Amino acid sequence: MKRISLMGCPNVGKSVVFSRLTGVNVISSNYPGTTVDFTKGNTCIRGEKFELIDVPGTYSLEPTSKAEEVAQSMLQEADVVINVADATHLERNLYLTLEILGSKKPTIVALNLWDESKHIGVDIDVAKLEKLLGVTIVPTCAISGEGIKELASELCVARVSKTIEPMSEDERWAKVGEIIGKVQVVHHRHHTIRERIADITVKPITGIPIAIIVILLMFISIIGIGNWIIEHLMDPLFYNYYGPWIIDVVNSFAPEGLLHDILIGQSTGESLDFTQSFGLLTTGLYVPFAMVLPFVITFYFMLSLLEDTGYLPRLAVLVDTGLHKLGLHGSAIVPTILGFGCNVPGALATRVMETKKQQFIAATLMAIAVPCMAQSAMIFGILGREGLKWVLIVYVTLFVVYVLIGLLLKKLVKGESPELLLEVPPYRKPDCRTLLKKTWTKVYGFLAEAVPFVLLGVLVVNLLYISGLIDVLSAVFAPILTTLFGLPEGAIVALIMGFLRKDIAIGILLPLGMTPQQLTISCVILCTYFPCVATFVVLIRELGVMAMLKATGLMIVVTVAVGVALNLILNVI
Amino acid sequence: MSDMNQDREVVPLTTLFPGERAKIVALGHGAGRQRHFRTMGLMEGKIVEIVATQPARGPVVLNVEGTQIAIGRGMARRILIQKI
Repeated sequence: MKRISLMGCPNVGKSVVFSRLTGVNVISSNYPGTTVDFTKGNTCIRGEKFELIDVPGTYSLEPTSKAEEVAQSMLQEADVVINVADATHLERNLYLTLEILGSKKPTIVALNLWDESKHIGVDIDVAKLEKLLGVTIVPTCAISGEGIKELASELCVARVSKTIEPMSEDERWAKVGEIIGKVQVVHHRHHTIRERIADITVKPITGIPIAIIVILLMFISIIGIGNWIIEHLMDPLFYNYYGPWIIDVVNSFAPEGLLHDILIGQSTGESLDFTQSFGLLTTGLYVPFAMVLPFVITFYFMLSLLEDTGYLPRLAVLVDTGLHKLGLHGSAIVPTILGFGCNVPGALATRVMETKKQQFIAATLMAIAVPCMAQSAMIFGILGREGLKWVLIVYVTLFVVYVLIGLLLKKLVKGESPELLLEVPPYRKPDCRTLLKKTWTKVYGFLAEAVPFVLLGVLVVNLLYISGLIDVLSAVFAPILTTLFGLPEGAIVALIMGFLRKDIAIGILLPLGMTPQQLTISCVILCTYFPCVATFVVLIRELGVMAMLKATGLMIVVTVAVGVALNLILNVI
Repeated sequence: MSDMNQDREVVPLTTLFPGERAKIVALGHGAGRQRHFRTMGLMEGKIVEIVATQPARGPVVLNVEGTQIAIGRGMARRILIQKI
């Protein structure tokens, strides 16, 4: 199958072109040997099947970053290249175009945002540009689909440029200037109303209140929609149909014994318990699919919406000041927001950080002080009935821990914390198709990444119970809990469960009859002491074993310190 | 620098206030960073404007020919401009 590489600078609408050209079968994967993600799909043009690769957006191909290295090798592996260029900013896009044409691959240039360029008074002589570049140029407007058909039909006759040769950087810039002078006329430009409104969201006085409202609205709708899906779709599905069926099936070949307990735990047809039976086919499937997936879907949809409208970069700019003091920069807002949904994709997203130091700080802070959606739901559910004050204490404590550890890590961790450098694209109307496709790709990635670990975790906990090891562990660690944190011995089971699922762990605290103080301490240390097993494995892969050992050490120290401190403070007031 | 703005003082980008316009004279930084700047549209000779300045030495948001770029204060200090 021939391979088409779709290349272009960031924010040129490349992913919209991609989703226009591909079918439903789109997957996101990792470039071998790197942490750079890319998306690929299939497309059929004039009866011939092609593999279409959405190359990570880069401004140039000089291998100064991992993404650029990957883009460079994807260019070499391509049979045909589609270069998506932004017609509204042709000059700076031409640099990459000249680099691509210099590689002597058959290429076709999609001049995207063509309608937009007309609006703002940019005139481009396409015929002349075609002659100068020596390849076919198709003006497109990917959002409306204009030009996509022409782009596809021209693909089969894509040519190697005869006019553009490989050249040095200085020669290339000179060439860009020369071409622009010949093909582009820019008419008088006004600051449009839309731009003025856009500016409001990035100015601190107006931007910060707007950001707070946007984030609040986002989380309120995620919790609302997620709960609705669980209540009206997932729970009925599991309790009315799947549960009775799977119990019948398992009972038909293993009515009791080890296999029965491992598969469906203590569940019987009369008392279905999906959260605490700890069977692989009951809790193991219910937790990822019914309890977490509804939130993850809505979460990724909202995030893609923020991303595709162009709001995310503005948020990054607004929080950069604060995050820079913690050794991070504004882009760290992405893994942090993701972490509030689920720590697993949050951990994966720490890849966006530029240096090892920043990735380590972002990942450690998230693992220690950012509770995932499921955990938050339980904290609100259990502590909420004791009064909102206690919920607030939990979150304020976590926030203080986040800031203090950030300040500390900035000083302690070796390496660089580079400053923010980010294009802030104009607001754009998101494309529904691209949005849904993006959401699906991320949800699929989450399922593939998280479900195996949840199953493994359920199995481990199950075996701990069956073998009686859990009693041994309780006996060993219980004294620490009671003396240091003032918690009852039974809380150790919750902490052990917390390795697997933090939300279930909080649920276990409920029957212990603890005071609000004890519950508050438990909720905080459950968040800080260790990430859940799925996050832990992903973090080992992202950071390496050594860095993860350091992070784990820090987690234990922090947990002891925070637990003891809270125990002292809460019992005084 | 033998053009008509010869008499204008060359100052760091950070001295520019929101709403003021200036011409970029030099990008500072090493070759790799300079290339990155240029490919984002931040080039010598272009007219730059400050859109927003974040408080407490946070980043500044620039507008260069319709492209908005957020850039850390430290980086911005090394870019030189002439006010117009």
